[in-house]
Amino acid sequence: MAEQSIAGPAGRVRASDGDRSARARIVILLLSVALALSIFLSLTSGASDASAVRVIRDWLTGGVPADTALAARDRLIVYDIRMPRVLLGVLIGAALAVSGAVMQGLFRNPLADPGLIGVSAGSSLGAVAIIVLGTTWLAPVTLALGTLALPLAAFLGGLAVTLLLYAIATRHGRTSVATMLLAGLAIAALAMALTGILVFVADDRQLRDLTFWQLGSLGGATWPKIGTVGPVILLALATMPFLSRGLDALALGEATAGHLGIPVQRLKYTAIVGVSAAVGASVAVSGGIGFIGIVVPHLLRLAIGPDNRYLLPASALLGASLLLLADAVARTVVAPAELPIGIVTAVAGAPFFLWILLRERGVIDL
Amino acid sequence: MIEARDISVAIGSRRIVSHVDFTARPGEVTAIVGPNGSGKTTLLKALTGELSYTGTVILNGRDLVSMKPVEAATHRAVLPQSTTLSFPFTVLEIVRLGLIGGRSGVLPGEDARLPERALARVDLDGFAGRFYQELSGGEQQRVQLARVLCQVWAPVLEGRPRYLFLDEPVSSLDVKHQLIIMNIARDFARRGGGVVAILHDLNLTAMYADRIFVLSRGQLAAAGSPQDVLNDELIEKVFDCRLKVGALPAGSVPFVLPQSAA
Repeated sequence: MAEQSIAGPAGRVRASDGDRSARARIVILLLSVALALSIFLSLTSGASDASAVRVIRDWLTGGVPADTALAARDRLIVYDIRMPRVLLGVLIGAALAVSGAVMQGLFRNPLADPGLIGVSAGSSLGAVAIIVLGTTWLAPVTLALGTLALPLAAFLGGLAVTLLLYAIATRHGRTSVATMLLAGLAIAALAMALTGILVFVADDRQLRDLTFWQLGSLGGATWPKIGTVGPVILLALATMPFLSRGLDALALGEATAGHLGIPVQRLKYTAIVGVSAAVGASVAVSGGIGFIGIVVPHLLRLAIGPDNRYLLPASALLGASLLLLADAVARTVVAPAELPIGIVTAVAGAPFFLWILLRERGVIDL
Repeated sequence: MIEARDISVAIGSRRIVSHVDFTARPGEVTAIVGPNGSGKTTLLKALTGELSYTGTVILNGRDLVSMKPVEAATHRAVLPQSTTLSFPFTVLEIVRLGLIGGRSGVLPGEDARLPERALARVDLDGFAGRFYQELSGGEQQRVQLARVLCQVWAPVLEGRPRYLFLDEPVSSLDVKHQLIIMNIARDFARRGGGVVAILHDLNLTAMYADRIFVLSRGQLAAAGSPQDVLNDELIEKVFDCRLKVGALPAGSVPFVLPQSAA
């Protein structure tokens, strides 16, 4: 196993002058349109025949709708069920994709992903601890923090895992991929075992909650939940653009990034805290949704290159769109029941991940 | 001016560099030579702040320890021995990273054209759109040099000289490109900047260096002009092999002819 691996095949895309920024801007524009369309589709489709178009039309005309009972029901479904769900999907899709891109830049490796290397497992452990022990051992914590207890615990769990991983896998400024993946595996296993112990002591009602929560779902979206995790995710996402040039420089190695004037230690800690916050908040509300963080940045690097100034916003847009799409599938494929969205992203994402591995087998040296 | 006093570096329990004094002046090319494992790269990494050291390094009148990365980056640029990349950047994207600090020293608005000019200087015209990972080792090294040149394009900024630290800049290059790169270093010094380069080729060192620091087992064995330092006795002792140093005509730039090992 090599200590340091390179990755990324030579992309098939090739701008003759080496400047891909114009292409990147066009892609970002197209992704914005795609996200707007996804939002619209998600608002209008679902198990009920409630129509966002009808709601919007009523709202625009300001007149009295022909069927007031139907209009009221539609409004309820669109405003209180679909809108928070769509908003949550956008936030979480963006958070997971951007976190993946930032992690990959930080670890200098295209295979780093919060779900794959145990960060999500750490967040899960924190969250499950609150769900199961929130009324007993951890009662003072939940009392003191209220609805913030769950996202905060998830954040701390994710943060602990990321810091541990970084300490284990990085030596002399170089992060070993093999060590990172294997350590991530071990830490994830440990976190899952501890989670298992908590599940073991959980009562029946908690068990059902836990099972569905762990599979991942946007189903529980409510406005209060968005009020809790939304600001955390938005704040984390808002810091990421400031890291983009530093992450680009980090691709040349930590020492060279430092020589270019990047405050490397601060960059690393900001990135780790930001990713842990974003992933922790996401896991707290929607459970484990895998593969968005690895698939989205990878696809985009093929299209627009690895420049983080474009990669991060593009990842946010594509991640949000893809998660809405996955949620639409989850809501409709077995309607009126609902598939956990984590299953949808895993079914689509895992084969894609294998494809990346096969494609880069000659290039990535684990 | 770079003034380093009593520099020692230990990695783990092993002391790699012991009590070395080092000076590099603007307007000069300063070479560091010595056999493998003599501590050349470690000394360079101490001088650039990459490794922690005991002693003091004064860069343009200020203690290196007190400088933030962004400040140090305006005073000097560093070319490492080799650079592996984790993502498929194009050559242009790599060279542009040299402009991150925004202190290239050209007029505002001219920054955008610097990467192309830097690539032309290292004889990589037309390489901007190529992928870095597809290039040969020598080409990659020249791309990195172009990036480094962008960072400190003006050898003097706001009245202060700037420095190029080059760790074996020509080791993987053919002879033509060795000369091109050494001429770039020479030119940077002629225009008021300073160059600190680790070199292996003693003849190239004799041709281009104004001052030579010879390291042996982590200690300074000699320092001075090529004429002072390059003599049979010292070089044979430090490099542990038989060499003949000559000069044609006598007193001019010396040349070194290897004869046999030990």
